[in-house]
Amino acid sequence: MPRGRTSIDIQRIGAYVTIAVALVITLFPVYWIAANSFKYDIDIFSIPPQWLPSNPTLKHYHAAFIERPFLIYALNSLIIAASTTLVSVVFGSMAGYALARFQYPGRWRYQISFWILSTRMMPPIVTIIPLYIAFNYLGMLNTKPAVIIAYTAFNLPFATWMMKSYFQDLPVELEEAAMVDGDTRWGAFLHVALPLARPGLAATAIFCLIISWNEFLLALVLTLTERSQTLPIGIAGRVTQYSTYWGEISAAGFTACIPIMIFAFIVQKHLVRGISFGAVKG
Amino acid sequence: MTSVTFQGVVKKFGEFIAVNDLNLEVRDKEFLVLLGPSGCGKTTTMRMVAGLEEVSAGDIFIGGDRVNDVLPKYRDVAMVFQSYALYPHFSVADNIGYPLKIRKVPEEKRRQMVMEVARRVELDRLLDRLPKELSGGQRQRVALARAIIRTPKVFLMDEPLSNLDAKLRVQMRAELKHLQHELQVTTIYVTHDQIEAMTLAHRVAVMSRGVIEQLGTPKEIYNNPRTLFVAGFIGSPPMNLIDGEVSDGAFTSAGGIKIGGLGHSNVADAVLGVRPEDAHLLPGGSGKANVTAPIYSVELTGESTLVTVRAGDSLFTLRADKSFVGDFDQMVNVSFAPERVFLFDRKSQNRVDF
Ligand SMILES: Nc1ncnc2c1ncn2[C@@H]1O[C@H](COP(=O)(O)OP(=O)(O)O)[C@@H](O)[C@H]1O
Ligand SMILES: [Mg+2]
Repeated sequence: MPRGRTSIDIQRIGAYVTIAVALVITLFPVYWIAANSFKYDIDIFSIPPQWLPSNPTLKHYHAAFIERPFLIYALNSLIIAASTTLVSVVFGSMAGYALARFQYPGRWRYQISFWILSTRMMPPIVTIIPLYIAFNYLGMLNTKPAVIIAYTAFNLPFATWMMKSYFQDLPVELEEAAMVDGDTRWGAFLHVALPLARPGLAATAIFCLIISWNEFLLALVLTLTERSQTLPIGIAGRVTQYSTYWGEISAAGFTACIPIMIFAFIVQKHLVRGISFGAVKG
Repeated sequence: MTSVTFQGVVKKFGEFIAVNDLNLEVRDKEFLVLLGPSGCGKTTTMRMVAGLEEVSAGDIFIGGDRVNDVLPKYRDVAMVFQSYALYPHFSVADNIGYPLKIRKVPEEKRRQMVMEVARRVELDRLLDRLPKELSGGQRQRVALARAIIRTPKVFLMDEPLSNLDAKLRVQMRAELKHLQHELQVTTIYVTHDQIEAMTLAHRVAVMSRGVIEQLGTPKEIYNNPRTLFVAGFIGSPPMNLIDGEVSDGAFTSAGGIKIGGLGHSNVADAVLGVRPEDAHLLPGGSGKANVTAPIYSVELTGESTLVTVRAGDSLFTLRADKSFVGDFDQMVNVSFAPERVFLFDRKSQNRVDF
């Protein structure tokens, strides 16, 4: 069947071309930042563009990480994003499990999960002034815990909802079997439900990490000191009244991509679904 | 001494009553089978014993202790789920050993016991596999092994054989029966397959729409069905149920089936029940026939021949000798063993004794 064969080939080529175009579109900015971070200022704007630095330099990395406090910003970002992710995933999975498995009495049954999500329905900017006043009152402005608390407040509802839907997809009978086998509800959650929800945990963790790593608005308002600021704020600070330091922005920006990429790379193998095959007969 | 007692147990899902006023005592070391069609409340009943479902009313006792408010882990029952419910992320060995691990049995002892049980159900070569790498029959045996690795007060088995192929099912049936005899543990076994019920049970409880229709030994259930439902549900092929009328102990159906000697009963909406093996073909033009009718079909099953005749609008099956040869539409004379026919009242659905 030569004709059928050809149409399959065309389909496959079509798929590859589409993927290639998507990759170029998404990866070009990353490549361009990476390339610029190693160029001298004059080469960044050269026309025709320099696709690869003709005269590579680490000058901007030196400027950002040695002369300016980008190392501190990076560390702050790391602590804040990791803490937010940890807290959101831990409490999100517990809350999600409860919502997936327990029936709440009366009208609470339908409303409680909606309420949780509804906290995300207003734009974050609306909450900024109240948050600023609250943290100011508590003397927590310019501290990492303040940022972590604020980020967690925004990530937890999503984490809860994501984990809830993962737990709902697991067959209840596995946890019931564990309880009949002698486990408590908590044990069934820890030994059975949680390991099986690993793809959900991975997805939720990546999601929370990316959101809090890249967050700008809340951090901008809640932190003013170098010691408490995060990478996005630090990078934005290199756009000054007099000049925009594209080299330093590129160097810090490219460096900021790396931890997320590493994390995503480590976690992606857990994202694969299908571990629950074989749980129930079929 | 572990009996399981249900006293007026009711289970409602919202307005829907899944189990209605269940009263039943499962005796110590008994193999009791809950038999009934899909959706009649068997699984729900079993889940209430395991503590996975709260009772809406009534009490459940395990070994004399009221367990209504006892958590599953303290009830000391072992359950084989209809879906097996194997832990997909554990190996076969870890699946089987899980109840021991929870009870903090030391690793060495645990491994030894897992090995012992695995050998018994012939899984000892598969201990490192994951559930998804097993066949249906092997998964079933893992579920069984996980239940028998400890000696619980009660075994609960929810249609454990229903997803096996026919041959394996027959083999596992015998194994289960033997195992229960050996372990001497009170067992509640759920099935919708009446042959499984008949072959396994000490006593069968036939359920329909949330109530127990009849409780008795397989023999009693088969030979002495108390309701129309039980009569029609037990037996393969099932009992012939023929609508008609009884006046002064004589039954007449629209299709011309007549039988006398049913005492002096009078029932307007009567149902006559005759098992296929209690109806016989009469040779030649005998006048003793209860009905003379044409053959509808002839099926040789091996050990016997099933002959279906058409009497008026209704079909009627009898079990003839395997040597029987007959043709479509050939007229035959059929007689019923008079002491083996049953009479039911369509309205009340109950047996009419005569
Ligand atoms: N969690 C539930 N919510 C609502 N209805 C249920 C639930 N579980 C079972 N039922 C209903 O109760 C009836 C009995 O179910 P079940 O005990 O599973 O039947 P069986 O095991 O005899 O096939 C069915 O009609 C079923 O739809
Ligand atoms: Mg069932």
